[in-house]
Amino acid sequence: MNGLKMDFISSEALENASSMEKIYMIIERVKKGNIVVMEGGLTNYERTELIETTMREIDIENFVGIDVHTLEKDTTSFLGFSKKKTVVITIVGPANLMKTVKKQSNFLSMVADITKSDEVIS
Amino acid sequence: MVKFLDYLRNIFAKDKKVNIGLYGHPNSGKTTLANSIAHDWIGNDIGQSSNVPHETRSVMKQEKVVIENDDTRLEFDIIDTPGISTKVDYKNFLEYGLEEDEAKSRAKEATKGIIEAIKWLDDVTGVLLVVDSTMDPLTQTNITIIGNLEARKIPFIVVANKIDHSDANIDRIISVFPQHTVIPISALKKEKLDDLYEEMFKKFN
Repeated sequence: MNGLKMDFISSEALENASSMEKIYMIIERVKKGNIVVMEGGLTNYERTELIETTMREIDIENFVGIDVHTLEKDTTSFLGFSKKKTVVITIVGPANLMKTVKKQSNFLSMVADITKSDEVIS
Repeated sequence: MVKFLDYLRNIFAKDKKVNIGLYGHPNSGKTTLANSIAHDWIGNDIGQSSNVPHETRSVMKQEKVVIENDDTRLEFDIIDTPGISTKVDYKNFLEYGLEEDEAKSRAKEATKGIIEAIKWLDDVTGVLLVVDSTMDPLTQTNITIIGNLEARKIPFIVVANKIDHSDANIDRIISVFPQHTVIPISALKKEKLDDLYEEMFKKFN
């Protein structure tokens, strides 16, 4: 079946998960061809670990890696002296499905090639 | 007392080994830059570069490179790392004329190289983040590398490479990384490398 499954995960569902549990939860779903949409972002350590784990899981023929996109918002510090970007949504999907991404400061548009969804390992 | 502590700190600082890692996407020009630096100061190349992505698939090291000007001297080891990406598809290599077996082998080696590059983040003391000026710099790879360097308090310079290309856009890189030092260069044409060396003296000494 040429379909696309998207998994939406709230931040509450992740708050008690360890970093590695989060990483494997993402990778296992993406390897099945799903696109994971998470509320919030990953830490620096988790982002690095996600790349490293992805490299270990690549099997050349069926799973060629991931594409990661984020939407951020500006947050101001308690006293209002400094601003920083905070990730509000993280999208992770199979690299061979996620084809076109147009990103602006508060807008993200993505096209997934569902003809490839049956090629992803299941 | 303060002077004595500074004296001790300087002694230890001089003994500290400086490992400068070249990080960035595949094909951003890391090995070309490593070769240009090595060529300028020790007269030889470090590795082979090509237009096929993931040409560098294992970390290459050049020890004891010394750069200096009238006032300053910096001795360091160059750590040229494989390009970091979130995906490696052997089919992309076929477009460059590689046979299928060769492309698959290159892809497998590339995944191992990316893991090795990430592991080296534990051992570098400074980083040149090499960014292709003709591409969008706001990528997960660049964000992840910068986030790691900031968290580990490793000093780094964003090197905006390939400024000799007509579609290079330095302003875009500066606007994306306003809080970081951006040095535009062409590693291939050896343009503005002196600006980079000046910044390396400041950041890594």
